[in-house]
Amino acid sequence: MPTERTDLLQGTLDVLILKTLAPAAMHGWGIAQRIQQVSEDVLAVNQGSLYPALHRLEEKGWIAAEWGSSENNRRARFYSLTRAGRRQLAEETESWERFAAAVGRVLAAT
Amino acid sequence: MLKRIVSTMKSPFEGKRMESDLDEELRFHVERETEENVRRGLRPDEARTQALRRFGGVEKTKEECRDAGRAVWLESFLQDVRYAGRSLRKNPGYAAAAVLTLALGIGANTAIFSVVYGVLLQSLPYGGGERLVRLRVDAPGAGITDGRFSPPEMNDLRGSGDAFDAVSEYHSMWFVLLGRPEPERVQTGVVSANFFDLLGVRPILGRTFRTGEDQHGAEAVLVLSNSYWLRSFGGDPSVVGRVFRMNDRPHTVIGVLPPIPGYPEDNDVYMPVSACPFRADPDTENNRDAGMLRAFARLKPGGTLGGAQAQLNGLVKRLEHDHPGNYPASIHVAVAPIPLRDELTAQARPTFLLLSGMVGLVLLLACASVANLSLARLVRREKELALRSALGASRRRLARQLLTESLLVALTGGVLGLVLAVGCRQLLVMFAARLTPRASEIAIEGPVLLFTLGVSLLVGLALGLVPALSSRRSLVSALQEGRDTSAPGGPARVKLRGLLVVAQVAISFVLLAGAGLMLRTLWKLAQIDLGFKTERVLTSRVDLNFSRYPEDAQKRDFQTRLLDKLSTEPGVVSAALAGNFPLSDRGPANGRFRIEGRPGAAPENLPVADFQRASSDYFKTIGVPILRGRGLSNADRQDAPKVAVISESLARHFWPGEDPVGRRIGLDGQHPTDEITWLAVVGVVGDVRQYGLLKPPTEQIYLSMLQYPGLSTTCFVRTSSEPRALERAVRAAVHTIGPEQPVDRFRTLEEIHEGALASPRLTATLLVLFAGLALAITATGIAGVIGFSVGARRREFGIRMALGALPRAVRAMVLFQGMRLVAVGLGIGLAGAFLLSRLWSGLLYDVAPTDPVTYAAVALGLGAVAAAACFLPARRATSVDPMVALRNG
Repeated sequence: MPTERTDLLQGTLDVLILKTLAPAAMHGWGIAQRIQQVSEDVLAVNQGSLYPALHRLEEKGWIAAEWGSSENNRRARFYSLTRAGRRQLAEETESWERFAAAVGRVLAAT
Repeated sequence: MLKRIVSTMKSPFEGKRMESDLDEELRFHVERETEENVRRGLRPDEARTQALRRFGGVEKTKEECRDAGRAVWLESFLQDVRYAGRSLRKNPGYAAAAVLTLALGIGANTAIFSVVYGVLLQSLPYGGGERLVRLRVDAPGAGITDGRFSPPEMNDLRGSGDAFDAVSEYHSMWFVLLGRPEPERVQTGVVSANFFDLLGVRPILGRTFRTGEDQHGAEAVLVLSNSYWLRSFGGDPSVVGRVFRMNDRPHTVIGVLPPIPGYPEDNDVYMPVSACPFRADPDTENNRDAGMLRAFARLKPGGTLGGAQAQLNGLVKRLEHDHPGNYPASIHVAVAPIPLRDELTAQARPTFLLLSGMVGLVLLLACASVANLSLARLVRREKELALRSALGASRRRLARQLLTESLLVALTGGVLGLVLAVGCRQLLVMFAARLTPRASEIAIEGPVLLFTLGVSLLVGLALGLVPALSSRRSLVSALQEGRDTSAPGGPARVKLRGLLVVAQVAISFVLLAGAGLMLRTLWKLAQIDLGFKTERVLTSRVDLNFSRYPEDAQKRDFQTRLLDKLSTEPGVVSAALAGNFPLSDRGPANGRFRIEGRPGAAPENLPVADFQRASSDYFKTIGVPILRGRGLSNADRQDAPKVAVISESLARHFWPGEDPVGRRIGLDGQHPTDEITWLAVVGVVGDVRQYGLLKPPTEQIYLSMLQYPGLSTTCFVRTSSEPRALERAVRAAVHTIGPEQPVDRFRTLEEIHEGALASPRLTATLLVLFAGLALAITATGIAGVIGFSVGARRREFGIRMALGALPRAVRAMVLFQGMRLVAVGLGIGLAGAFLLSRLWSGLLYDVAPTDPVTYAAVALGLGAVAAAACFLPARRATSVDPMVALRNG
């Protein structure tokens, strides 16, 4: 296991969750695994903050939750993106890209 | 959003399930992680330990989930409500004062709004709605204001054009209805068959009139008014189809009306014009001068008042051309359409608008007072709020709690106010009934309830914002400083409280000025010389049934025998009969007369006077002074020379500087060919307010009832003791002489006078009540603010006095500080009262809306009360020993 893990910036966890849920509904553990996997283990999801974030997003109406059956045939809570969530994802992606590009330009400048 | 609210509403009941959901979700996560660890090759127990460690604190996560979850919103709201309730219970004095003050303010507004809504705002209780008009005729050149139409003129109106899709006539008279245990005198509306269709009134039983039922030869039918049906038949539905005798003909009841305003008059029954013996008389039907009818019309759909007016102007032009004898251009006949809404509410509007304005001010004052109370309380609570903030309550949460508290106070006040308003409803309806026939429509329901809720919420929100406005300072600093509870709480707050006092004084001034002006009006009204003496006179109507007493001899016989019998009753000082009672709400019985020896004029240009028939003791009985000559006597019989007694104003008008006694006046007959009857003027009597308190004395000619017996008869009995006690004796006397003769409407002259004063008296009472309330609230407000600042400055006063300041000087300083606010308030109030003076000018009598005496008295009185309110805390400021004050500072 690589040791070099970056802590998530506050607020970025939300957009990562939204992005992860974009293709299909997933349960909490799956989301954490997926983020870690896709980021090639750079981003570690603090599981203690994952669930509050999920509940917060649900409260905001960006994701919806529903009980379903997991890959190992257990009852698990699956989250999926709502229409408002998709809009939010698009917005946050754009603003993140703008932010990252700006930071990149500043760093590239000599 | 809706889904979110629904889920929020559900959550407190589903709290248990949510909790177990959360448990299950987290358990799944840990187990899945454990499985994964096992898959990577860890031992099961090690795998689980690591999964748990990686997860961190389960309880902490659960807590955070709950916070992020949906239950928080409502739960914290309920918590706020519970907290507000607890905090108010802990401070019952403040809670009671605030709730009560707001209850009075909101209650008064609810009550007045229910009147305004029921009478002015609500749509008319007629299906015809806003298209309904009354056609009003005036002829200023002939002294006719709001006259009546004759039957030929009704036909002219109907054929005048297409601005109206229906025109209907109306007049009202009384008849005797037989077939009930006692003969009943019923006020009867006599109308065209389309009258109720035009108004858009559907009967609740049976039917109304059909086309053709107002034509000659139709069967006589009756429609009962709702109130008469309930009063006389106890709401018995089998009354439809019953037959009663009226005017010597059978009349069949065909229907019962719903409760509609008693407009144009409060009629008991309605009949079509063909059933009225006077209206159906061919002489009346073809007589252009027989003005007795009111005309109602409905504008055609989309029609305007302007279009109707143009059509009516055209009609007047045509009539002036076709009948110059009846309508000479010199009398300026004008017919105008008046919207029925105005007819029903015009008299009530100024009073109700004034009252609305006044209660609005009372509410504003109540709010200022409660805001002041809660500011004082906020200072005392500063430490508590700071502590809660230090423990983690966000500023927003604290503000929300204060808002919840003020909303709770306002809503409780609103509920209490509603109870108050419901309690006053009956009184208000009675009050409004003097001003508008729509009074019975006043109800506290629907829109009025919404209004109360809206006002309560608004008041609650406004009061909740006050603490937020007053201080932007960090609450934590208050905790750090460890302030004493007597601290003034920042200069901003003191300033705000001072502003509130200024506003209270200003509002009180306006309310007091209104009440003062109304009281002066009432006093002036009560001082009006009526021209007669009201003490111990009982009046009643003994209108003769024309079918029973068709001949003059029969009327004369009945009237003479009645007077003979009444004057021998024990307790009767004198008895008299006359055509009408004084202060009557009817219009004058105008007629034309000639003066002997003066050049003859065309009939339509002859002088006009109000003719009143009276028996010999009339002047003595009601106490009208005889100024010259003599009054009427029993010798002025039918076979004696005809005589007339005239009123002072008539004498002055037509015989200025001369003695009219001995002159003769002439009356034309019914037809131009008839001979003129000459009457000798035998006396001049004092002026009487015959038709209303505010109408100037009518120029009157009194005729001898023996020479001119009539059907309309009012009976007057002056008694030696309580007049009401003679009601039975009068009733018995009438029934002995005429067994089928009704007698009713017993009232004393004092009651009639009181009735004329009742509406201004009630308005004045309400205004005085509001103003008194305002004064009390303001005085406590001033005392509170000054007392508070005195408490905070005790140290300062102690130092001043220790350095040799006289207690008197310190007192003066405090007094000055308070009175400066009061003076500013008085100034603003004065300006406000001037600005608002137009609002009440219409309700005043003989008092200017900016009457300096009233304003000065109010300013002095309010200033004195305010000074007293300042003086009490000022004395307390100097009553402490300087050393004690300094030591305890």
